[in-house]
Amino acid sequence: MSNWTQGTDPSPYEPELGSLPNGSQRDEHDETVAKTGTTTIGITTDEGVVIATDMRASLGGRFVSNKNVQKVEQIHPTGALTLVGSVGGAQSFIRTLRSEVDLYEARRGESMDIEALATLAGNFARGGPFRAINPILGGVDDEGSHVYSIDPAGGVMEDDYTVTGSGMQLAYGLLEQEYEDDLSLEDAKSIAARAIKSAVERDTGSGNGVFLAEITDEGVEIHGHKSFDALL
Amino acid sequence: MQGQSQQQAYDRGITIFSPDGRLYQVEYAREAVKRGTASVGLRTPDGVVLAANRRVSSPLMERSSVEKIHKADDHVGVASAGHVADARQLVDLARRRAQGEQLRYGQQIGVETLTRSITDHIQEYTQTGGARPFGVALLVGGIDDGEPKLFETDPSGTDYEWQAAAIGGDRDVIQGYLEDNYHEELDVDGGIELAVRALSEPEDEVVAAEDVDVATITTDDEAFSSVSVDRLDSIIAEFDAEETDE
Repeated sequence: MSNWTQGTDPSPYEPELGSLPNGSQRDEHDETVAKTGTTTIGITTDEGVVIATDMRASLGGRFVSNKNVQKVEQIHPTGALTLVGSVGGAQSFIRTLRSEVDLYEARRGESMDIEALATLAGNFARGGPFRAINPILGGVDDEGSHVYSIDPAGGVMEDDYTVTGSGMQLAYGLLEQEYEDDLSLEDAKSIAARAIKSAVERDTGSGNGVFLAEITDEGVEIHGHKSFDALL
Repeated sequence: MQGQSQQQAYDRGITIFSPDGRLYQVEYAREAVKRGTASVGLRTPDGVVLAANRRVSSPLMERSSVEKIHKADDHVGVASAGHVADARQLVDLARRRAQGEQLRYGQQIGVETLTRSITDHIQEYTQTGGARPFGVALLVGGIDDGEPKLFETDPSGTDYEWQAAAIGGDRDVIQGYLEDNYHEELDVDGGIELAVRALSEPEDEVVAAEDVDVATITTDDEAFSSVSVDRLDSIIAEFDAEETDE
């Protein structure tokens, strides 16, 4: 009898397929775990959302373990998530959310709202082992453009623009001067790239270039740039 | 003797097909639905109307204890025909699924999604040994992104979407009445009137306001609300008067 009800009454804090992996509490302190010290930025505009991330992975913020990391991934037809914190935790989080989004769409014939995706991501962060992550979720739906920051304890906060990662103070410094609520998507891209550049110059956990994701109601486009010159 | 007992086995085992491909227990469950008093649901541009006949067998019985219309969530109601106890199980499943959607996604569940999870559950009881199917049909009505929606579930676990539908005893007569009289531009009061008239169709006279249970889910507040006996009385009195004039 008990498995009969499983399909119709799933736990809201568990993925429908597979289960949350176990035991990565060590991620936070272990210096052999690859981390994205990172600066990631999300900005909403009327035309869509811009997400920008740096390209560095490091061990304890002291050794650069990879110089070419794409830290923003599409997880929804019109949504993307950044990798911040433990690389393993963030990658696993992304795989889990992608399969949830696909399953939802296949069953219901429509995509999840970004608000629903943010709630689900918050539930998984809270109930699961992804303790050492702090991603940004950005996306576009019928309601418009959204960015959310998701904290390791499952806190989900929506904002017009948001920054997470070790370089966040540097990037916020620029954004607080430059953000306006009627930015075009092109302006937002340039501001996001400049904010990443500020962080890359001074934060040892961030560096090596920038990835930019543009999200509109048409979809998600992601491009990497080793040099900032063409973007500023 | 041997032959007879084998034949009866198709009849008993829920998971056994008859040689002509039928599941007798599911068909018997549909018969159980026909033995129940009828319920009606219909969609108008302004909302969904659910109505159920709840005549009681004895004047000593408290009418309020006959529950045929249930609130599943703020924006969804369920009307039943058939075994009331079976209906309550499915209604509780629907309530849990609706709240599960709030926990998981922070959103109201879609009426179609909710209906699907009910019918998925019903279907499992047509394929599992030792269980019997649900002897109840439901009408699930509610508002989806501002759109009124109405679905039916049957004991096989199939769901159907309707503009207007009847389930339970005298279904064919009531459905025929709805087919002749339903039109898409009804307002909610017109929908209540049509539902009450449809439930009255198999009888000689219009049913009394106390003998029907009516609820609406309108697009303006997206909220389930029961229609009071006083309001029903005045709607019924109005169309009684029209008929006397003619």
